[in-house]
Amino acid sequence: MLHPISMTAQGNAIVTDVTVSTLPSAPLWAFEIWNNPDAVATRFAAAAGFALPEMGTSGGSDALRLIRYEPTVWLVEGDASALPSILDNDGALTAIGGGVTRVLMSGRGWRRLLMEGGVFDAESPAFAVGSSAATIIDHVNIRLLVLSEDACLAYVPLSYAQGILHFWQEAAKALD
Amino acid sequence: MTGPSRPNSGQDISFTFDGTRYSARAGDTLAAALLANGIGLVGRSFKYHRPRGIMTAGVEEPNALVTVGEGGRAEPNTRATDVFVYDGLAAQSQNRWPNLSLDFGAILGLAAPVFSAGFYYKTFFGSAKRWMFYEHFIRKAAGLGNAPRDADPDRFSQRAAFCDVLVVGAGPAGIAAAREAADAGKRVILVEQDDILGASLIRDPQELDSAWAKESADRIRASGGHILTRTTASGYWEHDLVTLTQRLAEPGQVPANGVAQRLWHVRAGQVILATGSIERPMAFPHNDRPGVMLSQAVRTYVRRFGVCPGQRVVIATNNDDAYLTAHALKEAGAQIVAILDARPAPAGQEHGFTTFNNAHPLATKGSRHCLKSVSGIVDGIPKSWDADLLAVSGGFTPVVHLHCQAGGTLEWNDAAQAFVPGQSRQNVKTIGGAASPAPVFSAAPVVPAKKSFVDFQNDVTLADVDLAWAEGYRSVEHLKRYTTLGMATDQGKTSNMGALARLAEKQGVAIPEAGLTTFRPPYTPVTMGLFAGTAAKDAGAHKRRLALFDVHAAKNPIWQPLGYWFRPRAYPMAGESLAEAAMREARSVRTAVGMTDVSTLAKFEISGPDAVALLETVCATSVGKLAVGRGRYTFMLREDGFVFDDGTVWRIDENRYLLTSSTGGADRMATHLSYVRNYLHPELRVSVVNVQEHLAGIAIAGPKAKSVLATLTGEEPPRHMSTVGAKIAGVAVLVLAASYSGERAFEIYVDARNAEPVWAECETAVVGTGGCLYGLEAMEFLRIEKGHLVVGGEIDGRMTPLDLALDKMLNTGGGFIGAAGLTRPALSEAGRRQLVGLEAVEGSIPEGSMLVTADGKSPEGHVTASAFRIMDGGSLALGQLADGFLRHGEELIATSPTRGQKARVRVVAPHFYDSAGERYRD
Repeated sequence: MLHPISMTAQGNAIVTDVTVSTLPSAPLWAFEIWNNPDAVATRFAAAAGFALPEMGTSGGSDALRLIRYEPTVWLVEGDASALPSILDNDGALTAIGGGVTRVLMSGRGWRRLLMEGGVFDAESPAFAVGSSAATIIDHVNIRLLVLSEDACLAYVPLSYAQGILHFWQEAAKALD
Repeated sequence: MTGPSRPNSGQDISFTFDGTRYSARAGDTLAAALLANGIGLVGRSFKYHRPRGIMTAGVEEPNALVTVGEGGRAEPNTRATDVFVYDGLAAQSQNRWPNLSLDFGAILGLAAPVFSAGFYYKTFFGSAKRWMFYEHFIRKAAGLGNAPRDADPDRFSQRAAFCDVLVVGAGPAGIAAAREAADAGKRVILVEQDDILGASLIRDPQELDSAWAKESADRIRASGGHILTRTTASGYWEHDLVTLTQRLAEPGQVPANGVAQRLWHVRAGQVILATGSIERPMAFPHNDRPGVMLSQAVRTYVRRFGVCPGQRVVIATNNDDAYLTAHALKEAGAQIVAILDARPAPAGQEHGFTTFNNAHPLATKGSRHCLKSVSGIVDGIPKSWDADLLAVSGGFTPVVHLHCQAGGTLEWNDAAQAFVPGQSRQNVKTIGGAASPAPVFSAAPVVPAKKSFVDFQNDVTLADVDLAWAEGYRSVEHLKRYTTLGMATDQGKTSNMGALARLAEKQGVAIPEAGLTTFRPPYTPVTMGLFAGTAAKDAGAHKRRLALFDVHAAKNPIWQPLGYWFRPRAYPMAGESLAEAAMREARSVRTAVGMTDVSTLAKFEISGPDAVALLETVCATSVGKLAVGRGRYTFMLREDGFVFDDGTVWRIDENRYLLTSSTGGADRMATHLSYVRNYLHPELRVSVVNVQEHLAGIAIAGPKAKSVLATLTGEEPPRHMSTVGAKIAGVAVLVLAASYSGERAFEIYVDARNAEPVWAECETAVVGTGGCLYGLEAMEFLRIEKGHLVVGGEIDGRMTPLDLALDKMLNTGGGFIGAAGLTRPALSEAGRRQLVGLEAVEGSIPEGSMLVTADGKSPEGHVTASAFRIMDGGSLALGQLADGFLRHGEELIATSPTRGQKARVRVVAPHFYDSAGERYRD
């Protein structure tokens, strides 16, 4: 289901464009390691072809992407069928996709929009492509993933999705 | 009243003041426009209703307060010096009746000796009722503008920002600092409360002019820096967090994009304060009359706005700066009648003006609207001059508010007779005029104290300061509160130093020894809506929507807020009231079947070989012996032994459990589990994942629930407190045989993305079996009748497992959180409140009522929840009662004096329905 919100607002400094769209729902998992993290990381890298991402970063591609948002927990998107065997007895994979709405922000104004009601420096150059963050925006816990300079993916709790979309829609009207 | 620099042509802007239409030029403040239109009387003072004009040209203005805007957009107490005129601006004067010129309240001025410092403390003795009587008249007689009655139609935004360098104040020092930082590649934010950059450059063009300011601004922006005008740094907090209030529209103006103001939360690597200084007035009788202005303000009106506030001008000063005003006025064609310089001898070059040294203003005369003459004393000899403007300069007070809010200290600058920033506790530095104010000549006023105002907004005079001293008030903090000095909306920006000097003089000490009051945020008044941000319109939070929200909404239920969630309270049929609908739904559950949405319950998936160890730490009941496919009721304690939540725990696989707990305590439970997992027992091999939103939940309850579920799944339903996986509508679900209604019941959990078809199939089956949907109200009836507990009601944080008769379920092996706290003797002493049932002997039991043995006696407990017997009528309730377990059969009174309701009740066991649990068995 798509809820595109396109807006262009002009202020006294810059012109900001951002489009906010709700992506179709997708399976998501919490990938948690409780034991032998190095061994799991080795098994994972061998199977997936890329290393388990560090804190605040993501790895992989649309086929399988992992985002580390807690010291021992990664959010998994894509084909997770191989992960239980990689974890073996050292961790667990738990489905969480039903409770998350993915919101795509595209256009160069997404950083500015994320500053509205936020506490996180989305405008920092260090928040570069591939970076991730868990933050609060307008009292809602949201996870962010920088897809490109013109796109950011936000993982929003299902119950708050409509509210935060409305918030972004209203905020974008007065973006400068 | 216009000067030569005011353009003769240009687009006029129309505005009204007290209903009369005037014109202004683009860029005018309301104060400038009023002066340009020859208006001297702008407001009435707070206490004595004295006529007041425009004194300053900035946010420190104490006199010219007006209400701007109309309806819900009206903003009272707006400084006329801090609002830029826009087409259609409507301003009203305040605190006057029937009008500004003829204000009957001015009669209070005749009684000024009565209304001196400490008036309230000396007058309003006796009972509080007398004060209630007086208050009505006091509030009518004194005060500021009225708050609008209508809701504010505008929105408010809150935005975060991060930077390497935040520069507050865009005068020459601030601009230079921001430019230097930007050139060095820093992320820079420069804020300025005016609508243009330059500050003193606008008033006093120097080597650096407005062209330099513009070129600097371009460079800052080109390097990625941000410049925010009409923005005030209103608060400085810990860790170099500075809050900025930005006006996106002028007061009362319709904002272009709906957002009137923005609150910025700026986290800065370094803060540079270039906040300048505020000119001080001088104390002498009638120094508050329209036509008495601060010298730099006069210069600002002349040079920036092209408005000359007077033609015959006396200037009173103790420093060199006021001579610049004399030159500006002369350029504008005004006549400088006299300069009264407090310094004993001429300082510096010859200016060509009639200057008197060792000279002080002594009084003014005039009408309500304007000044007519100034008297002074020169070398001890009185003199008088006809004049329509008196420009005064009593020195300069550095704006140190933000420095002090940041925890910085102040030092005394004797030459400037002012406090300047000293050491900083945070990464903040003050530059420019705020760090190095101009020197002044120090001379105590040698004038009568009466009607010599120091705090213009709160009508505090030197006589009030003297009186407070005479009555024993020595501390500056006491002086402030006794006289209300510095407590008005301007927070004493123009007054505090004058009063402090008087206090020091009385004490016979230097000013720094007299002490200083605390600088607190905000620097200037902030609209309340700005603090609420977008939440101003919806009571503070988003509505949390169920995964099945749209499905419910299509049935037009009565909605019930539950925390941030919105859940159906009942599904009324045509013509049904809430009570009727809820009772119908509850009876359907008792006699047939009903279904409801239980998605909001807290749910945690706990996996791993040490899952049991974690659960037996969190839960006060035993979990270890739970077989795969079985579940049990459980509850959780705080470390002090009190119950804080309850729920169920289910073993859904060898090393995988589902823990449910209350909706209202979901976030608290998530935090608690995280604390246990990551802090108390990081060594456990366990994963705890919050799946509250991942799993939508549907409960089916009633004597026909089992057959309905069998139809839905095609399989034999699990027995009570058992769980199985199944498919409904082709979707995989988890079925838990659990009941919160007293009937055989099942909770069906499904990935929220697939909940709609499952709900639809369940609804078809339930309705086809003669059942219906039920909401929270019916659920409440059912659980009360059965005696089930609810967090926030019976479990209110003050009850132990013993108090709730749950002690037999405690894990005898101990080891759970709260086990140690539970052993405290006080938790098992007599007299504790205990869970009881209550049935009405007569009347209907008011929820929340007190339980007393007789009218007038002290309460011994209270009703936590009340309802009606679902099938056979009669009022019943659950409650907490002192020694309740021993009082079954006793009759009490449940009374709610605030609602005027009471009922006679009998204490019984808290199970009114199927206490043996027969209906759970197949």
